[in-house]
Amino acid sequence: MKQNNFYRRRLLLFLFLLPCFVFAQNTISGKVTSESGETVPFVNVIEKGTTNGTTTDIDGNYSIEMSTLPGTLVFSSLGFTTVEQAVSISETLNITMGESAQALDEVVITGLATSIERTNSANAVASLSAEDLVGKTPPPTLDGALYGKFAGAVVNQNSGAPGGGLSVKLRGATSLQGNVQPLYIIDGVYLDNSSLSAGLNAVSAAAAGGSASNQDNPTNRIADINPEDIANIEILKGASAAAIYGSRAAAGVIIITTKRGKAGETKYKFSQSVGWTEAINLLGVRDYTRQRVLDTFGEDAANDFVNAQNNGTLVDYEDEIFGEKGFIRLTNFNMSGGSLKTKYYAGVSHNNEEGIVRNTGYEKTSLRLNLDHKAKDWLKFNLSSNYIYSSSDRGFFNNDNSGTTIGVALTATRPWDGLLADGNGNYPDHPNNSSNPLQTRDLVTNNERVNRFIMGGTMNLDFYRGENSNLELVLRGGLDMYGQQSRAIFPKALQFQKPSNGGLNGVSVQGDTQNKNYNLSAFLVHNYFTDSDINFRTQAGLTNERFDRDTKLVTATGLVASETNVDQAANTGVVQTRVKQEDAGFFAQEEVNFQDKFIATVGIRGDKSSNNGDANAYNYYPKGSLAVNLNEFGFWNEGGTWSQFKLRAAYGEAGNFPPFGALFTSYGAFSTDGLLGISLRGVRGDKEINSERQKELEFGTDLGFFNGRLDFSATYYIKTVDDLILQSQLPPSTGFTTEFVNAGELQNKGIELSLNATPIVNDNFEWNIGVNWFKNKSEITRLDVEPFNVGAFGATLGTYRIEEGSSATQIVGIGPNPGPNGFQVFGDAEPDFQMGVNNNLRWKNIDLSFLWQWKSGGDNINLTALLTDLNGTSHDYDTIDLDPEGQLGNGPYRVSQLGSSAEVFVEDASYVRLREIGLYYTLESKMLGNVIGGAIDSVRIGLSGTNVLNFFDYNSYDPEVSNFGGGTIFTGVEVTPFPSSKRYLFHLGVNF
Amino acid sequence: MKKQIYKILFLLAVAGTLFSCDVEEFSDLNNPEVDAFNENLTRGDLQDLVGGILYSSRVRLGTYYDDCGVIGREYWRFSSSDPRFTSDLLGGENAVLDNNTFYITNPWAARYRTVKNANLILGFLDSQDLSAQFSNAEVAATRGLLQTFIGYELLLNLNLTNENGIRTDVADADNLGPIVSRTQALADIRNFLVAGAENLANGGPEFPFVLSSGFEGFNTPSSFLQANKAISARVAAYQGDMAAVRTFLDDSFLNLSSSDLNTGIYHNFSLNATDIANPMFFPLGATTAGARIMEPNFLADAEAGDFRVFGNPELNTLGKVVERESEITLDGLTGNYDVFVYPSQESSIPIIRNEELILLYAEANINSNPGEAIAALNLIRESAGLDPYTGDTDAAALTDEMLNQRRYSLYAEGHRWIDVRRYGRLDELPLARPEDDVFSQFPIPLTEGN
Repeated sequence: MKQNNFYRRRLLLFLFLLPCFVFAQNTISGKVTSESGETVPFVNVIEKGTTNGTTTDIDGNYSIEMSTLPGTLVFSSLGFTTVEQAVSISETLNITMGESAQALDEVVITGLATSIERTNSANAVASLSAEDLVGKTPPPTLDGALYGKFAGAVVNQNSGAPGGGLSVKLRGATSLQGNVQPLYIIDGVYLDNSSLSAGLNAVSAAAAGGSASNQDNPTNRIADINPEDIANIEILKGASAAAIYGSRAAAGVIIITTKRGKAGETKYKFSQSVGWTEAINLLGVRDYTRQRVLDTFGEDAANDFVNAQNNGTLVDYEDEIFGEKGFIRLTNFNMSGGSLKTKYYAGVSHNNEEGIVRNTGYEKTSLRLNLDHKAKDWLKFNLSSNYIYSSSDRGFFNNDNSGTTIGVALTATRPWDGLLADGNGNYPDHPNNSSNPLQTRDLVTNNERVNRFIMGGTMNLDFYRGENSNLELVLRGGLDMYGQQSRAIFPKALQFQKPSNGGLNGVSVQGDTQNKNYNLSAFLVHNYFTDSDINFRTQAGLTNERFDRDTKLVTATGLVASETNVDQAANTGVVQTRVKQEDAGFFAQEEVNFQDKFIATVGIRGDKSSNNGDANAYNYYPKGSLAVNLNEFGFWNEGGTWSQFKLRAAYGEAGNFPPFGALFTSYGAFSTDGLLGISLRGVRGDKEINSERQKELEFGTDLGFFNGRLDFSATYYIKTVDDLILQSQLPPSTGFTTEFVNAGELQNKGIELSLNATPIVNDNFEWNIGVNWFKNKSEITRLDVEPFNVGAFGATLGTYRIEEGSSATQIVGIGPNPGPNGFQVFGDAEPDFQMGVNNNLRWKNIDLSFLWQWKSGGDNINLTALLTDLNGTSHDYDTIDLDPEGQLGNGPYRVSQLGSSAEVFVEDASYVRLREIGLYYTLESKMLGNVIGGAIDSVRIGLSGTNVLNFFDYNSYDPEVSNFGGGTIFTGVEVTPFPSSKRYLFHLGVNF
Repeated sequence: MKKQIYKILFLLAVAGTLFSCDVEEFSDLNNPEVDAFNENLTRGDLQDLVGGILYSSRVRLGTYYDDCGVIGREYWRFSSSDPRFTSDLLGGENAVLDNNTFYITNPWAARYRTVKNANLILGFLDSQDLSAQFSNAEVAATRGLLQTFIGYELLLNLNLTNENGIRTDVADADNLGPIVSRTQALADIRNFLVAGAENLANGGPEFPFVLSSGFEGFNTPSSFLQANKAISARVAAYQGDMAAVRTFLDDSFLNLSSSDLNTGIYHNFSLNATDIANPMFFPLGATTAGARIMEPNFLADAEAGDFRVFGNPELNTLGKVVERESEITLDGLTGNYDVFVYPSQESSIPIIRNEELILLYAEANINSNPGEAIAALNLIRESAGLDPYTGDTDAAALTDEMLNQRRYSLYAEGHRWIDVRRYGRLDELPLARPEDDVFSQFPIPLTEGN
C-alpha cells in the first residue's frame, strides 16, 4: 500500500516534468505539488501580463481559462520559488514548485500556531536567517549573533570571558526591576536563560558593601544553543506583536526555528574553523619615572623601580595576564534527508575556545536530531531534540572587596613588583596587595558545567478539509531540562588563602542546579475562504507551562590538604534555593484577510500564574492590528516602480511577572557561634502584587520598489509599562530596606528604520546592503513612591535614579550643581541611537560580507580607572586632560573629585565596530571535477573575524561591559572586568 | 481509518488531562514566612527567633566600628577597592559624609533590622495565648532581653547621627514615629532599658532559650539584668546624668579591680558559613586591599611603657597596635602600625565590659568624689603598667585623664569619637592631611525620609 502510493507519486512527479500534452481549448488545469511531493494549496496562478488569475484549491488543483494562447502562467506561493511556465495549448499542466531559500523570511508569526506572509504582517517583526546568523563568521554564542542585524535590539556583553554572558534588550526599558530579557522559544520549547551564580562572593566579598546583586558574571544559558543548528530567528520586539505570549512577553519574544530535513538525497555538510582570540584593547602601564614613583610610593619603591629598570626586570603585568592568544576550534557536521514520509536533520558540533587569560576557556558539544513524520496526509508529527554539554572556565574577575580578583589585584600591581613564579612554581606574595594575580590565574578554578536536554514535539492533525474551509488541531509540548554544576576552587596555597594572611585556608564552592521547564499547548485552527477571496482564520487554544529549579550551593572553607571535596573541610555551609512557577492560560484569535488588501487581526490571551498575588485570577492581554496593502488596490501596474506600499498599525498588551518571592515577607536562616537564628531578609513582600502590564501601539509603513530591489520600512512605537513592580526603598528604621510594590508607569517611544537594497546585480557581481537605524527614549511617567537611587555603588561614584519625568536610566551623582533633589544628572545609559550597516558583495565565487555597528551615546559608570588611581597605577595617571584647570594629572584629578563630584566617573560609552567580516571562496562541484568520484557538491574556504576594528573614546578595555550582569537595565557599570576580545578564524566547509 | 480515529481520540484524551484548570499556589519555598509565627509559637520557634537577634546585632558591626574609629582618628581604614574610607570619612579634600552611602546606610539599617526582629517577637508574644508553652516569668524574661537589645541597638545608631537624632518608635512599620532629638532619643533608649530591667527582674530563674557563649555569666534573667544596668550606665553618662550613672553601676557587674577588666557580654564570631567572621580582624602586615592602620598620634601621645600600646614585655604580649615590617601608603596616608585588637576572625567583640564600667565609675565621680575617680583611674593605670596618677585633681584635669585612659583602654571599640564629641573636643583630633575635616555626626540616611 505504502509502496504503491510512493510509486504513484514518483510517477506523477515524473509526468510533471515531461513536456506538455496537447489538448483542445484554452483551459489549463492541473495540480501543483512541492518537491517533496505534497500538494500545495492556495497557489496564485496568474496569466502573465493580465489580471486573469486563480488559486489552487485545498488539494492543489487549479483550472484557469487563458485569454490568449500561447501565453505564460505564473505560479507563486509563499515559501516557494515562483514558477513561470509557457503554455501554447490547452492541457493538463502539473507543476512542481521548489521550496524557496528565503521561504522562512517571508512569513512571520502572528498566532501561537500560525504565521502570516510578511507582506501582510501588521508588525515590524525582524527575522534572521541562518545566513544572517552565521554566514559571515561563527558567533561565539547565539545572542552574540544578534548585534546590529536588526532595528530595536540593544545587545550588550557583560564580560569578555569566554562562553558568553550577554544581555539582549528589545525596544528600550521594559521593566525597572523585573525581568528585561526576552523570552526565548526554540521549536516551541520555552528556554531557560538563567545566569546562575557560582558563589564567588564567598571569596570576593563583592556584595559586602551592600550591593545585593550578583557580581559573579556567570554565563547566561542561551549560550548553550548552537547557532549552526538554526534555520531562522524571529524577534517579536514588543507587546503589539508578542501579546499572544501573554504574561511572559513584555520584554519581547525571540522565536528560534531549527533546521529540518528535506526529502531526497542525503546531504552532508562539514565545516571546520580554527583561529584565535586576542584582547581588543589593553590600557598599558603608567609612564613611570623615578620621581613619579618616589612621589606616589615613597623612597623604597623608587629604589626598587630603578633597580628593576636597570636589570630590565620591569614587567607589564596587564600584558602578562591579558596578552595571551586563545586558540579556537569549531567543528560542525550535519546530515539531512529522508523520504516523503519521514525526514530528518542530524547535527553534531564541537567548540573549543580558549580565552585571552590562561586557564579560561569554553567547550561545548551539541547533538541534534530533528524528525518530521507524515503518518497520513492529514497527520503530521515533528520532533526536535537537542543534547548539549558545555563547560566554561571563566577566571576570577569583576568587583571585590577583598583585593582578590585578578582585575582588582592588577590595579595595585606595579611593574617592579616581583610576582613571577620561581622554578618550582611557587609564587611570591604580592608586596602591595592581598593576592598575586598570576598565582590567582594559575591556581583558581571557576568552572561551570552543563548537561542539557531540550525536546519539543508537535502534532498537526487536519480534522477536516472542505471546499473552502478546513480545521486543524495542533498539539505541542516542550521540555527543557538541565543540570548545572559549578566549581569554584581556591586552593590554600593562594596568598589570600593562607591563614597567616587572614585567609580561610582554602575555599571550595560547589553548586548543583537542576532545572526543568515544560510547556504544553493545544490549538484549533479554522480557515474559511469565501468566493470573493476573503479568508477568515480562527484559532483558539490552551497553554500550560511549569518551571522548577532547585539550586544547592555548598561553600566549604578550611580545606584538608589539597582536597577539594566539600566534606574535606573545616567549615561547610549550604544554601538551597528553589524556584517553582506554574502558569496556565488560553488564547483566541481571529484574522480576516480581505483579498490581501486589508488584513485585520484581533486576539486575546488569558493567563494565570502561581507568581501572581491571586494565583487563579486571569490576567487578560488583548491585541488588535490592521495592515493595508495599497499596492493591492491596482493603483500601480504590475512590474512598476512600486512593488509594495503597506500601512500598518498594531496594538497589544503583555505582562511581566513579579519576581519569585515578591509575595512573601520572610526570614533568612543564620547562626551565631553555632546557635541557629532567623533574621528578617529585609525585603517586604506584597501578597497583592500584580504583574506589570505593557501596552504597545506601533504603526509604520513598508515600501518596496523595483521588484524588491529596494525595500524601506519605518516603524514608530509607543510602549507604556504600567503597574511597574518596584523594589521601593523603605525607611530602614522599619526594619526593611525595600518592599515590592506596583508603583509607577514607564513609557518608551522609539523609531526604527530599515533599508535593504540590491544596487548591483548581474551574473558576475552582486551587492546587497542593509541599513538599520533606531532610537528609543524612555521616561518614567508616573512614580507612586519617593524617587530613589538604584544600581551601581551610590551617589558618590554615580548611580541610577528613578524619578518621575526623567529617563529610566538616567545617571546621577553628587556634584557641584545639584538639582532640587540633591543630585546632579551626569548622563543616561540609553544610547542616542544605534545603527547597523550590513554589506554583502559577491564577485563570481568570492563572497565578502561585513557588518558595521554604531552605538551613539549612552553612558557608563567607569570605576576601573578610579581603582587604579588610588593605587597610583593608572595608565593615564600623569596625563593632563581631565582637570579643567590643567593642573592635575588624570589620576590625582579623579581622586580629588571623590566625594565632591561623580562627574568624572560617568563616561560616554559610544562605539563603532566592525562587528563581523567574512571572505569566502566557493569551489563548485564542476570545478572540483572528479575529486572523490565527484561526490563533493561544493567546498567553501574563507577567513572571518569578529570585532576586528573598534573605535571608542572610553577609558577602559571596552565600553561594552557590565559588572552586574544582564538581569536589569542598570548595567553599564564597570569594575575591573575581563577585557573584551576579537576573533580571527579560518574556515573550511564541505558539502557532499 | 476508524482505528486511526480511536488513536487520535485517545491522544486527545491524554492531552486534555495534562491541562489542569487551577494552578498551584506556592508558599515561600526557601525561607520561613513571618506570618507563620503569629500562631502556635513554640519554644523551638522562640529559640530560633532570639538566635536571629544574636545574629543580626552583629551585621555590619565592622562598618560601625570603622565609622567611629576612622572619624575618631584612632586608625585609618585602608581598602583599595573602596576609596570612601579614606576620602569621605576623613573629610579628604572636598569630601563630605553622604547620606546614601554604605558607611551610614548599612549599619543604620542593620541595627533597625535587629530592632524589628525584636519587635516582631514582642508582637508574637502579645498576640497569642502562650500559657501552654511558656510561664509568665519566661515571657517576661524574653521581653526584658528584647527590650535591652532594642535600647542598645538604638544607641549605636544615635552614636552615628548624634544631634541629627533617630527614630525610637518603630514598632509599626506602616506608622513610624518621628525622628526625635538626641536628648529625647537618649531618654527613650533609657526607658527601653528600664522597662527591660523590670521585666528581667520578674523573669524567674531561666530564659526559655539558650544564648551564645559571649553571654556566659549573664545568661539568666538576673545576671543579664546586670548587663542591662551596665548599658544603662553608659546611656546615663551620655545624658550627663552622673548620679544615675552611679546608681546604674551599683546594680551592674562593675568590679573595681585592675585584674578583671574583661568581664562582660560579647558578640561571638565564627567561620561557620552561616555565621559572621570578626569584621575587625585583619592579619598583621595586611595590604591596602584591606587594613586598619594606626593613626600615628596614638603612639606619639602614649605614655612610655603603656602595655595597651607597647605590650607587656614580661608576659611577652602584644599591644593593641603592632609595628609593620614595611610602611603602607594609600591616598596620601602613610602608616607603620597595624591595629591588632582582635587577633583572629573568631575573636569576640565586647558589647560592654568591666574596663568601661571602671572608667564610667571614674567619670561619674569626678565632680562628686574626685578621690574615688582617681582611685578608679589608677586601677586602669595599674592594669596598663603605668604609675599612679600624679597630675592635678581638679575636674578639668581629671576629665583629661579620664578621656585619655578611655582612649587607650577602649581603643578600636568605637568610643573615642563619641567621647571627644560629648566633651566638645572634636577640634583636638589630629588631621593627617591638611584638607581633612573631623565630622561630628552622620546625616540621616536618605531613604529614611522625614
